[in-house]
Amino acid sequence: MKITDACVYPYPHGDSSVRRMALEAKELGFDRIVAADTPPGEFFGIEVFSGILIQQASVRDIPGRIKKDRNQQAVVSVQAGDNGFNRAVIGLKGVHILRGIQSADKTAFDHVAASMAADNRVAIDFDLSPLISGRGISRQRVMQRYRDILVLERRFEFPLTISSHARSVLEMRAVREIAGICTLLDMDIPDIQTAFFGIDTVSTLPLPSVKVI
Amino acid sequence: MSIRPPTLREKRRYILIQIEPAGTSFDQKDLYYAVSDAITALWGDAMAAVIMAAVVASQGQHVVIRCRRGTERELAIALSTITTCRDTRIVVRIITASGTIETLRKRIRKMKPPGKEGVSPVEWTFEKRKVQIDQCNGQKVDVIEKGFKNTNRLFLIREDLEEL
Repeated sequence: MKITDACVYPYPHGDSSVRRMALEAKELGFDRIVAADTPPGEFFGIEVFSGILIQQASVRDIPGRIKKDRNQQAVVSVQAGDNGFNRAVIGLKGVHILRGIQSADKTAFDHVAASMAADNRVAIDFDLSPLISGRGISRQRVMQRYRDILVLERRFEFPLTISSHARSVLEMRAVREIAGICTLLDMDIPDIQTAFFGIDTVSTLPLPSVKVI
Repeated sequence: MSIRPPTLREKRRYILIQIEPAGTSFDQKDLYYAVSDAITALWGDAMAAVIMAAVVASQGQHVVIRCRRGTERELAIALSTITTCRDTRIVVRIITASGTIETLRKRIRKMKPPGKEGVSPVEWTFEKRKVQIDQCNGQKVDVIEKGFKNTNRLFLIREDLEEL
């Protein structure tokens, strides 16, 4: 189990190279980062997973995109949409993470979607950038959404991931700081640890319920 | 009002922070406003009055922030939400907390300041773009990319750069 920042955007999306981000992540206490549109590798002892973010695509197009990038063994995440879209995406094979749930509408993720996410081992991502850089009502709304999702998570036990969505090393935060921010959402230490290990949960195959001897 | 005797004074704690990126110039007053804004935005006025944060000293990129004992956690969370100081992008890295400023000063003395040591004054390229080294700290290199309209600061490591 490795402590993972589930999404960072290195150069050219951001202003920091993937190596610098890996070095910074090491100093901040991470073991792994998922870097968008970057080949996988290992720098300074930090594992870098390749991340693919699918945005503004219809449900029909997503399997094609996943197939195209299957060889890279990347972490595939899809930007959340309305409720029907989210349910359909959660049911697709090869999708690991549903992102941007905080900016989707209030009914976008309900108990049915939560149950499906738990069954299909699709993680819901907590993007901490609105909590760090946001102020006022926008930050309060995000906190409300995350608290609402945590209620469903405690009931259905679907995986969670935590990401900084950093486009620069200046937007990356230490593990301890992220844990502090997560306590604002009433997450306790075991919850936060589980969320940090969320990538391990979604990227490994589940153990079969019946063992054939 | 006369100064209270030590037994009647409130206990304080001091937090040592480092401002990044290296080489950023800032005013203590501006930093105080940034800290105060972050605390008030996150915890509200009531908690800000309890925390009683103040910027008490700065030395290079290191700053000592005072708070009331027992409110270090709240202050630390608020500090992690600071992203700018007077329109300059910064990040606050918390290094340690202590009961005295002197302990933190000793800690600062042990730290090596960033600079331009070990970098030859030749031109460098990153991704086929000319860049100029601004700050250097071990493997970390901050460079300035000069474009037609404006300049961009990039955060790289030595291996990312190629000599022109």
